[in-house]
Amino acid sequence: MSNPHIIPLDVIQLVYAYGLILLSLALARLQQIGHEKQLLWASIRMLFQLVAVGYLLHLVFAVNSPFPVILMLLAMAGFSLQVAGSRIKKRIPNFYRVMGSSIFIGCGGVTFYFCLVVVGYTPWFDPRYLIPLAGMIVGNAMNGASLAAERLSAEMHERREEIETALCLGATSRQSADQAVRNAYSASLRPTINTMAATGIVALPGMMTGQILSGTEPIVAVRYQIAIMCAITGAVAITSFLIVQQGYRCFFTDAHQLKGEG
Amino acid sequence: MNQQQKSGNDPIVELIDVGVTKLSPTGQNVVILDRISFAARPGEITGIIGPSGSGKSTLIRLINRLDEPSEGRILLNDENISAIDPLLLRQKVAMVLQKPFMFEGTLLDNLQRPFLFRNLTPPSDESIEITRVLELVQLSTEMLVRDARSLSGGEQQRVNLARALISHPQVLLLDEPTSSLDRPATARLATTLHNICSSEHLAIIVVTHDLYLAEHIVDHLIYLEQGKIMEEGAGTQILAKPQTAAFRSFLTEPDRNKEPSS
Repeated sequence: MSNPHIIPLDVIQLVYAYGLILLSLALARLQQIGHEKQLLWASIRMLFQLVAVGYLLHLVFAVNSPFPVILMLLAMAGFSLQVAGSRIKKRIPNFYRVMGSSIFIGCGGVTFYFCLVVVGYTPWFDPRYLIPLAGMIVGNAMNGASLAAERLSAEMHERREEIETALCLGATSRQSADQAVRNAYSASLRPTINTMAATGIVALPGMMTGQILSGTEPIVAVRYQIAIMCAITGAVAITSFLIVQQGYRCFFTDAHQLKGEG
Repeated sequence: MNQQQKSGNDPIVELIDVGVTKLSPTGQNVVILDRISFAARPGEITGIIGPSGSGKSTLIRLINRLDEPSEGRILLNDENISAIDPLLLRQKVAMVLQKPFMFEGTLLDNLQRPFLFRNLTPPSDESIEITRVLELVQLSTEMLVRDARSLSGGEQQRVNLARALISHPQVLLLDEPTSSLDRPATARLATTLHNICSSEHLAIIVVTHDLYLAEHIVDHLIYLEQGKIMEEGAGTQILAKPQTAAFRSFLTEPDRNKEPSS
């Protein structure tokens, strides 16, 4: 399993790396920003989380079965949904149902299409491919999904007069919420578009860098990166689309009435 | 069919024991409207006055089904409105909300909106439809090309009226139409409403806290307080002889009873 191209990091080397965290802590204290505790806590959390995930992956890789892989993917999606839920201040109605189903269909569909059709490895549940690829797709799609939900909620609130005026003039719920839906969808896609446009110029993406470090030919790593960017864009587009399309409906009754706030 | 059988004096809208109860944030039932019954007739202006929070706006929002009553019945031409498709109902029962909202574009674009919402070909600037409503609200055809959002508050309120009238409604609901207008603009709007009611043979229901409208154009006046009808009758009659202490106190509040200056 060990790769001859990669230099393994031992504990001492990690301690050296943690020296940079200590330096960051010192700078934070010097600037008196008051975030030293958070910085320290976040670095400790990262350490334990990554070590735990490392051992978990080690276990999952050892078991030649799709069940632990699927379970791990579901847990990842669940945690990211929880994080998104806690981050958003003003949630859309039925937040977890809308977000959960959209992520399940959007990210799940794209992940399996990407793994089975684009990469085409066997067996389909090979955790070396499925877990990191799904992680990247879900993680990035979650940002777009959170933006879509948050912006939709804000738009529906801010455009209340516009929406009710349209309803009074005979508009359907969809027609009255059209601008809010479009703005929310546009906001959800913007970071992905910007990232795509800047990739390779402003920063080298993590996956590509990781592959290069582990000895993969840069051209192969670039191909993977292009493919994963396409998958992320697709996942963001589909997930956000499902969120805004399901989400706006939650603000209305079947009789095209805008539900009360609060 | 019902309408053809009805005589001019028959009510077009009837509210029978209508009540609205809402759940407060603390989980208690709060009565917003309590067994409200009244009728509105074509060619007649019904005024609903009362202090803030008395349930006036909630009451008229029920008539075009922007909200639903918790109990009671609302009839339009003897048909329970809960059985009428809300989109169709809102063609027959037009409503002008308190704050005039102008859609992006020209005045003509705004007048064409109701047709677009109903997937109909919008009328041109020279069409009978457009000239009819402009005449009704006393706006000139030269204004059609102006940016609707650059119009004055009084002009926007007239556009709002014109937009509501373009679908030939049988009932016109107005929620505080003079709240953002100065006295001269209020007087002009009052005259316009009076003329529209006569020429179009509409039933107008206007919610207001402005006694000028109540005194000058309202045929039938309802005084609402804490969700209950406290007094009801011919406008001039009940204003001249208020029966309850609450209504007397309402009428003598300092900022009421000001005559508009021309």
